[in-house]
Amino acid sequence: MDALDVKGVVKRFGDFTAVNNLSFSVRPGEVFGFLGGNGAGKTTTLRMALDILRPDAGSISILGKEPGRGNAADIGFLPEERGLYRAMSAIDTIVYFGRLKGLKAADARREGLTLLDRFGLGAQAKSRIDQLSKGMSQKVQLATALVNKPRLLILDEPFSGLDPLNQGLLEDEIIGAARGGATVVFSTHVMQHAERLCDRLLLLAHGVKRFEGTQDEARATMPLRLTITSRATPDKLPGVVGATAQGTASDGWQDWDVKLEPGRNAGDLLEHCTSQGFALRRFEQHRASLHDVFVHIVGGAEDVK
Amino acid sequence: MNNTLLIAIREFRQIARTKSFWLTLLILPITFALMPLITKMVRPDLQQSIILIDHSKTGAGKAIAARIELDAQRANLATLADFAKDNDLKALAGKATWGQKLDWYPDAVVAKFVAEGGAEPALKAIRAKSPKLAEGLTLPKAAYRVAPTPQGLANLPSAALDKALTPYLRPPKDSGRKAIDYVLEIPADFGAQPVVHLWMNGQPRGQFMSMLQGELTRTLRAGFLETQGVAAPVAQIANRLEPAIAINRPKEVGGREKLLVQSILPVAMTYILLMSLIMSGQWMLQSTIEERSSKLIEAVLACASPDEFMRGKLIGTITIGLVMVATWVACGLFAAFATQGVIADFIRPALEPLQSFGSVAAILYFFLTGYVMVALIFLVIGAMSDSMQDAQGFLVPVILILMFPVIILMQAVISGSDSVFAHVLTWIPLFTPFAVLARLGTGIPTYEIVGSGMVLLAFIALEFVMLGRVFRAAILSGGGRPSFKTVARLMKRH
Repeated sequence: MDALDVKGVVKRFGDFTAVNNLSFSVRPGEVFGFLGGNGAGKTTTLRMALDILRPDAGSISILGKEPGRGNAADIGFLPEERGLYRAMSAIDTIVYFGRLKGLKAADARREGLTLLDRFGLGAQAKSRIDQLSKGMSQKVQLATALVNKPRLLILDEPFSGLDPLNQGLLEDEIIGAARGGATVVFSTHVMQHAERLCDRLLLLAHGVKRFEGTQDEARATMPLRLTITSRATPDKLPGVVGATAQGTASDGWQDWDVKLEPGRNAGDLLEHCTSQGFALRRFEQHRASLHDVFVHIVGGAEDVK
Repeated sequence: MNNTLLIAIREFRQIARTKSFWLTLLILPITFALMPLITKMVRPDLQQSIILIDHSKTGAGKAIAARIELDAQRANLATLADFAKDNDLKALAGKATWGQKLDWYPDAVVAKFVAEGGAEPALKAIRAKSPKLAEGLTLPKAAYRVAPTPQGLANLPSAALDKALTPYLRPPKDSGRKAIDYVLEIPADFGAQPVVHLWMNGQPRGQFMSMLQGELTRTLRAGFLETQGVAAPVAQIANRLEPAIAINRPKEVGGREKLLVQSILPVAMTYILLMSLIMSGQWMLQSTIEERSSKLIEAVLACASPDEFMRGKLIGTITIGLVMVATWVACGLFAAFATQGVIADFIRPALEPLQSFGSVAAILYFFLTGYVMVALIFLVIGAMSDSMQDAQGFLVPVILILMFPVIILMQAVISGSDSVFAHVLTWIPLFTPFAVLARLGTGIPTYEIVGSGMVLLAFIALEFVMLGRVFRAAILSGGGRPSFKTVARLMKRH
């Protein structure tokens, strides 16, 4: 059973189609990245998974059930737009959300205090939210999502607005939740976070799926790039689709930026050079960044960092 | 505990923590506590004094003095009879006049009370039963006091009185004497001539002038009858004849029984409903705007459905409003039954009609439904607004639409008119609770109460459906305050 299974989902707001025939699945225990620029349909899809919005077509299964508040006890959710009740204390806020998720007051309080201690806010448990700094409030909000020890953690743009320290804390929490057996789904348009955390990812543009798979599978969609230093021009080598000279030659040796056909293996090319006596001083393979992959797949139309 | 209740409790606690809630809650009890003091400060002494100089042989001066004394005894009798009724002292009073509560005490009854010894036997009996109870009884101060006529004034001619009276009517500030309010001179030829002279140190009371007019007219008539050959005792008897007015309150005839709460209570309830609604509605509005503007609504809606959220907020706000009203009512009841004084005297008679089950049921029903109906409107306004400034665009028209007709209605009811306006408002659901509560004071047919109550219930059900749609659509949407056209469109869309 997939933790989240989306099939052919469509969501329209008037004439605007926010999500168009979207299908993907998230396997239990994996960290799944939901990547796309602003307006790609990430938040709308997550809201549909949580039954905050209803799809116009298609179906969603979350933890084997239809979306609804009946799943709240097993789900932790951190929305993109964040806020808390200013006049409530940190611990009361966590207990309130814990109780909305079906916890008993005592259990919610105990778990809430544990989380606050872990986040370095034990001394501020009884402080009102409007007396806390922005960073502290963000930690409290994260605690509201984790208080019920969710089986599925859904985080919508969780890193936006966080300072580097809190970004690190959040990454640790995501890794910790995944190690504890939870499934984590998070949306982002910051590729570095996805690169560090995701087992698999979904690329979305204008409400349409462009890619679903592992990071390696994503990179495989891009032509491989190499930097080689050789005496001869490498553009005639098998699988090479382009070679551009870099800088000026020294003693007959020239640096080249080489682009291979998609699916070609750098090792095969190196073996070919060795066996054919193609002299090389340098053979360096470049690993494409997720940003490059995203721009390659989505076409550069999306706003990503 | 279900989500609706959790949301309601949070809403209740949030409002209960605000200073404005406590200020609003305590303003009435504080007013009740300060009222006796304020009354004392505003009305230090209502008793007026009069000097009577009677040169005639008609006995007019004595008659006026007797009338003043009789009216003072009438006030004592009314106070004692009210006290006896409020404290269930009928058995203690036995057949004494002070044990019988009447709407009006004719002269003959007051004379009987005086003949029984006046207030003294009653006070004695009450003290004997319970000294503490007797402490709560204060007899009213007589409205007028006949001051002894100074020796120097009694024999002065009218012309000389002008000057001689000045020190009595306007004594020097450092004299320490209290000013006399009225000096009445009845000339020796009064009877043959109808002229008397009155000096005052200010505006005369209408009640005093009527009393004076009545007594002097009786004296003139008696003298006239005697000059016409009627025997003096017969003329006196003829002069003292007065009708015995039997007061009845007949029930409504013609098969249309009216529910009638003849006191200030219905209008007070209408006013309390209006004010508490506006106050608690504002609190709910602020809290909904906070939830919307601080973007925490999405986190709540991931755990609770929009309907649970809406119901929870409504229940929380209505509860806080009812707690406020219940506290005010409890303070009123405490002031009425556990204290003595101006407030108790004011409230106690107002609560008397509440012994009718129908009245109590009608007041509770229309108060509660009125709360739900208007609170729902405030909630949806909050759901559509990112700030109080945004909310004002909807709030101001709603409050004006509510307040103006209700204020006109209350004035119409206070003036006692059973206007077409009040009848029409009764059947417009937005005004039904106010109109029915206010009209209980002038009497409202049972069929109108039941009919308008059912229409109101149907309207609230429709509100839940239509405004519920607006609430669900608006609570997560951004982009500022929607237009009235958009709101109308949202109401139609399922």
